[in-house]
Amino acid sequence: MKIGTALLASAVIGLFALGEVESAKADKLDDVINAGKVRCGVVLDFPPIGFRDANNEPAGFDVEYCKDLAAAMEVDYEILPLTWAERLPVIVTNRADVVFGATSDTLERAKTVGFTIPYAIYYAQAVVTRDSGIATFEDMKGKRVGAAVGTVPEIEFLKYAKEWGTEDLYQGFQSENEVFLAVAQGKIDAGITTNTAVKPITDQYENVIAGPRMPWTTDYTSVVGPRKDFGWLNYLNLFITHQVRSGRYQELWGQFVGGEAPDLRIPGVMY
Amino acid sequence: MGSGGVQFFFEFTERDLLILAEGAKLTLIISSLAIVGGTILGGLFGWLLSIGGRVGAITLGWVLDIFRSVPPIVQLVLFVNFFPIIGFPLDAAEAGTLVLMMYCSALVAQVARAGIEAVPKTTRWAGRSLGMSYWQDLRYVVLPIGLRAVLPSWTGVALGVLKDSALVSVLKAGELMQVSQEMITRTQQPFLILGIAGLFYFALSFPIARLTEHLERRWQHD
Amino acid sequence: MEYTFHWRPVFNRLPDLLEAGLITLEVSALSMVIGIALGLGLALIRMSGNPAIAWFAIGWIEIARNTPALLQLFFFSFGLGAYGIHLTPYMVVLCGMAFNNAGYLAESFRGGFAAIPDTQMKAARSLGMTATQAYIRIIIPQVLRIVYYPMTNQMVWAVLISSLGMLVGFHELAGETQRQAFRSFRLFEFFLVTAVIYYVIVKIIILSSRLIAWRLFRY
Repeated sequence: MKIGTALLASAVIGLFALGEVESAKADKLDDVINAGKVRCGVVLDFPPIGFRDANNEPAGFDVEYCKDLAAAMEVDYEILPLTWAERLPVIVTNRADVVFGATSDTLERAKTVGFTIPYAIYYAQAVVTRDSGIATFEDMKGKRVGAAVGTVPEIEFLKYAKEWGTEDLYQGFQSENEVFLAVAQGKIDAGITTNTAVKPITDQYENVIAGPRMPWTTDYTSVVGPRKDFGWLNYLNLFITHQVRSGRYQELWGQFVGGEAPDLRIPGVMY
Repeated sequence: MGSGGVQFFFEFTERDLLILAEGAKLTLIISSLAIVGGTILGGLFGWLLSIGGRVGAITLGWVLDIFRSVPPIVQLVLFVNFFPIIGFPLDAAEAGTLVLMMYCSALVAQVARAGIEAVPKTTRWAGRSLGMSYWQDLRYVVLPIGLRAVLPSWTGVALGVLKDSALVSVLKAGELMQVSQEMITRTQQPFLILGIAGLFYFALSFPIARLTEHLERRWQHD
Repeated sequence: MEYTFHWRPVFNRLPDLLEAGLITLEVSALSMVIGIALGLGLALIRMSGNPAIAWFAIGWIEIARNTPALLQLFFFSFGLGAYGIHLTPYMVVLCGMAFNNAGYLAESFRGGFAAIPDTQMKAARSLGMTATQAYIRIIIPQVLRIVYYPMTNQMVWAVLISSLGMLVGFHELAGETQRQAFRSFRLFEFFLVTAVIYYVIVKIIILSSRLIAWRLFRY
């Protein structure tokens, strides 16, 4: 009897092993389901979208999105804390399955990774020191300005700085939090960040106030996945629309950012 | 404080000290693995170099020289992106340990080779003519004499690797340096936290330095 | 292996990388010059026998040698920033490296001084030289010769350490590479080319140091 069970067991396992061979053509979606775990890259120095709570645990809008995705797929989740700069490499090098990291969908980046439809929309805004005298974007000319390295604000601002001939006054920081610290210390006069972060930052520091909105276009941010895994990217697209339809998008936005969640629509374009 | 009643910044508390200690623990694990592994590998490489002649110097010697001539931080970024390309996605701590281990072995190889060559040929011939085999000569003549000659240099390498483990912070491995950096931006108290982190590094280096002193003293007596 | 390498973006940026390599050389060399001066001073202070200032030197040397260079750089950026002292990224790297170099070189110098027999000083003094003259003409030239090899090592080390500039917003070779790589996020390709450039820089330093040694010490 025992031998019978053992034989049966090995036959079943053998069949599964066969399935494994068959699934050599499995795509990312299959991989995640079979692994029983989705590995989400999240930027944790981007309050209120991603940050560490008082227990040093990951929290925020993006973290909740990862948890929701895992729940929808009925798998576990793993949060991989990232710097801004690591958001794409982790996908390319298969250290994460998906990145929820407010990633702007630039054409240059799309050569390296795959983007979903936009899942959140931001615009770039500066936080400035109280005595910097910066009220408009033009006032930033000749001032010391900082942003996180590898971000769209950095690339966009440097275009203006080059025109003004003030590139020397720009400084890149390894994290958004370092940018805020630098403004608070007076190391720089203005730090470029995202509109959602402005309120928590200005609440935190007495000498830091909201600065002007940056002149470049609205920041459409997408969820990031491997470039060639269309099945997976499709699944993520559907997940994003379901988050909106179920009201979860508005709920989380209200909880972490406050107010009305922005419409995930690009005017005048069909996508 | 933050919008929606969510708070993002917190003062430094006693719990943060524990979090830093956790980081220090990981630093200790990463650097011990790297130092032990790197010393074993480096000893082997050093021996190969000492017997390898010209061929050894051109092949192995050249590879090890590259590890010594490229900044560890560049090696880290390079390899953490390389392992997954060849199909071995490692997490940050694993990749960091591996890179540090290779870096350490390249430095130890140089030290070990110097140690082996520090033993006079005549001493080794004497050993061999007493009927020792090559391996006996290596074990009972070269090892004790060479080890004493290179102990200070080895200590320097080990302490260097311990400090270089701070660079693993670029990979977000959660070791002492990275934890400190994140805590600085969260608590806005750079001097306090850098000071505590510095003390932790001091405390980690201290046992290695003391062990060396102890061994040097003991060996002087026999 | 699913990965397809993109080399073209790297080669398009090669001039920027090479220019940044020169900045790496510049900041390393400057930090060495300052580090040698400070290190010599620290070694002399430490041996001076005056306990108050000797402790200052010992504190500097121990901190420089026993904490990570990265930690020292952070002290010069956000650490000083907390007290309203704002250094540019260039100055952060230069000061941090000079501080670090000085600590290590001070110990080399101390070893160098210890290797010169006391009798030389006595001989110089008995020839009518003042203590300062004896130091400058007799002792220090010999010390420099003894520490020449450790100094070359330190210079190589300085080049390797300067790569930490990447983490404090300085655009030396590693920092510039990071900035360029982040446009398309092809980190492996960019950093591989940069590793080669570092290797070449280090080889150039070692070769020229041998040439200089051959010129200086051939008698």
